[in-house]
Amino acid sequence: MDVLIGAGVLAATIRLATPVALAALGGVVTERSGVVNIALEGCMLVGAFFGVFAADRTGSLPAAIAAAVVAGILLAAVHALAAITFRADQIVSGMALNILALGLTSYLDYQLYSTTGTPSTIPLVPNVHLGFLENAPVLGGAIGDQSAIVWATLAIVVLLQLFLFRTVPGLRLRSVGEHPRAADTLGIDVRRTRYWAVLASGALAALGGVYLSLSVAGSFSDNMTNGRGFIGLAAMIFGRWTPVGALGAALVFGYGDALSVSLQGVKVAGVEFPVQLLSTIPYLLTVLAVAGFVGRSRMPAADGQPYESEGH
Amino acid sequence: MRQPSFEWTRGPAIPVVSVLFALVLGGLFVWISGHDPITAYAALLRGAFGSPYDISETLLIAVPLLLTGLSVAVAFRAGLFNIGAQGQLLVGAVAAGWVGAQWPDLPAIVLLPLTLLAGILGGAVYGGIAGWLKAARGVNEVITTIMQNYTIVFVMHWLLQNGPMQAPNAFGTPASAPIGAGAVLPVIVPDFLVPSSRLHAGVLLALLATVAFWFLLWRTSLGYELRAVGLGMRAAAQAGIDPRKRMVIVMAIAGGFAGLAGMIQVSGLFHRVYDGFSAGFGFDAIAVALLGKNAPLGVVLSALLFAAFSRGGTLMQSDAGISSHLVEIVEALVLFVIAAETVVRAVARRWGTPVKAVS
Repeated sequence: MDVLIGAGVLAATIRLATPVALAALGGVVTERSGVVNIALEGCMLVGAFFGVFAADRTGSLPAAIAAAVVAGILLAAVHALAAITFRADQIVSGMALNILALGLTSYLDYQLYSTTGTPSTIPLVPNVHLGFLENAPVLGGAIGDQSAIVWATLAIVVLLQLFLFRTVPGLRLRSVGEHPRAADTLGIDVRRTRYWAVLASGALAALGGVYLSLSVAGSFSDNMTNGRGFIGLAAMIFGRWTPVGALGAALVFGYGDALSVSLQGVKVAGVEFPVQLLSTIPYLLTVLAVAGFVGRSRMPAADGQPYESEGH
Repeated sequence: MRQPSFEWTRGPAIPVVSVLFALVLGGLFVWISGHDPITAYAALLRGAFGSPYDISETLLIAVPLLLTGLSVAVAFRAGLFNIGAQGQLLVGAVAAGWVGAQWPDLPAIVLLPLTLLAGILGGAVYGGIAGWLKAARGVNEVITTIMQNYTIVFVMHWLLQNGPMQAPNAFGTPASAPIGAGAVLPVIVPDFLVPSSRLHAGVLLALLATVAFWFLLWRTSLGYELRAVGLGMRAAAQAGIDPRKRMVIVMAIAGGFAGLAGMIQVSGLFHRVYDGFSAGFGFDAIAVALLGKNAPLGVVLSALLFAAFSRGGTLMQSDAGISSHLVEIVEALVLFVIAAETVVRAVARRWGTPVKAVS
């Protein structure tokens, strides 16, 4: 049973779900406002790199996290400019930014750290030790020693869920993504709302990158996000564009990933379990969900559509 | 609406300007990071075209770029965004690699066409799924094709690591068994011209596919309909063309081009499938198609350009010590300027006509 629901598997699930959840939360915010941002992968990657870079240069963890988040916001700002102000194709802009992020971080990594790798002396995000859980079976091992970012993520999920569905600014943000014309008529600044949402998505994805580099790995390596931003988009869709749903989806995906490690080499009826196929679950579930075969996932009505206000 | 004063946006001006702009900005970046941009670009150029061997290696990279570029371009022409060329390429490679290794003793005259067909069909089915999901269930093809790209990667991990395609004695990288001699595309450059060139007959297949792309879009009624759908769903529907029926066909054709690219990588170059096979071509293909304005000649030229970047970038790193990732930065900038073409158009529309008439 330990390979299925042991403390190790559950702890790994949380570790694998966290960066995906953060990217997914970014996706929820930006798409609820009506802007598709597939550059979340890139925002994550610059977050991962500039977190390490700033940690190396300043030796300060807060400065490192701030630098990473700012880098993510800057990349997202370029997307916002292209998508909102210039009404450029959001997918092309997002692809361009993903390639840019990959090229930029790998280039800098090569020029700055190629011979030595990123330094091992940088400050890392500390884990939160829950002493009172030390002797609790399963739970202690699962959540008793997780990164501070894991707990921050949980808080962000709750706050974002409340913000989007229980506050007036949240309602405004959603109205901009559902029916920008009507929102505009009611005096809501569509463009400004979308700008804030896209910038926030960059910050959240970058935090996911920080988690990867300054919490899990303790270093940066080229393309270390390795598609997690895209799995985040999948989690956003499978979680029906809500923060709580996105977290749930990320946990489901993370569990599949954790199993693909713990079930390695396990034989079922004499045949080696195809653990690699477990990793296809996020992608298959997402397509099935959007197609309406598994529940029904409906995107915000004006998602991905540029808005041109009347009378300009 | 005709806008004669901005006709130049339709010609090669934008692609040329965007590449120059990206190169200048990339050079600036090299300079800021403490290197000499002239040295960098000279090394890049030498790496791509410095010797007959370098040129043949550049062409070798251009083949999959051209075919995946055509894949993205044919979808664009019909108003669909195929981000899945990478996944379709891999499915084509797996299908071709499986057929090629399954009957290794068949003569080339049977096995090569079979392998070719398997590659194209594999890609076409994978692309067709995305088209069908869009037509039947309204699933955005961008979402489906992104998910498909990742799905096949993990399916390949399984196939090659402990699945049915695992080669009994593959060392290091998990790989399939080699394909039979009859499935191999021969090298077409004789040794006395370019010693140890790897340039294979796949380059001819790619050019043939480019002609097929042109013929399909501009010389058949299906191509006319596809382009009509691409120009406007509603208008096409009023002309009696059902856009939804065309989605499956377009995505299958797009997948076919990418699948052919995968088949050629197997039959021409690697003679087997392995983990991490031909990564990235399907993504560069988007830049190739957009820079080539989805036109046959344009796609050929931009595939050559990006192939030169790729080949030259590798040598730039080993010769001049400047990271080959500079190439990705330049590529991203090219894409950005192309995306900005809509900005140029929008500005032209805004400033070229009276304000009231716009909305």
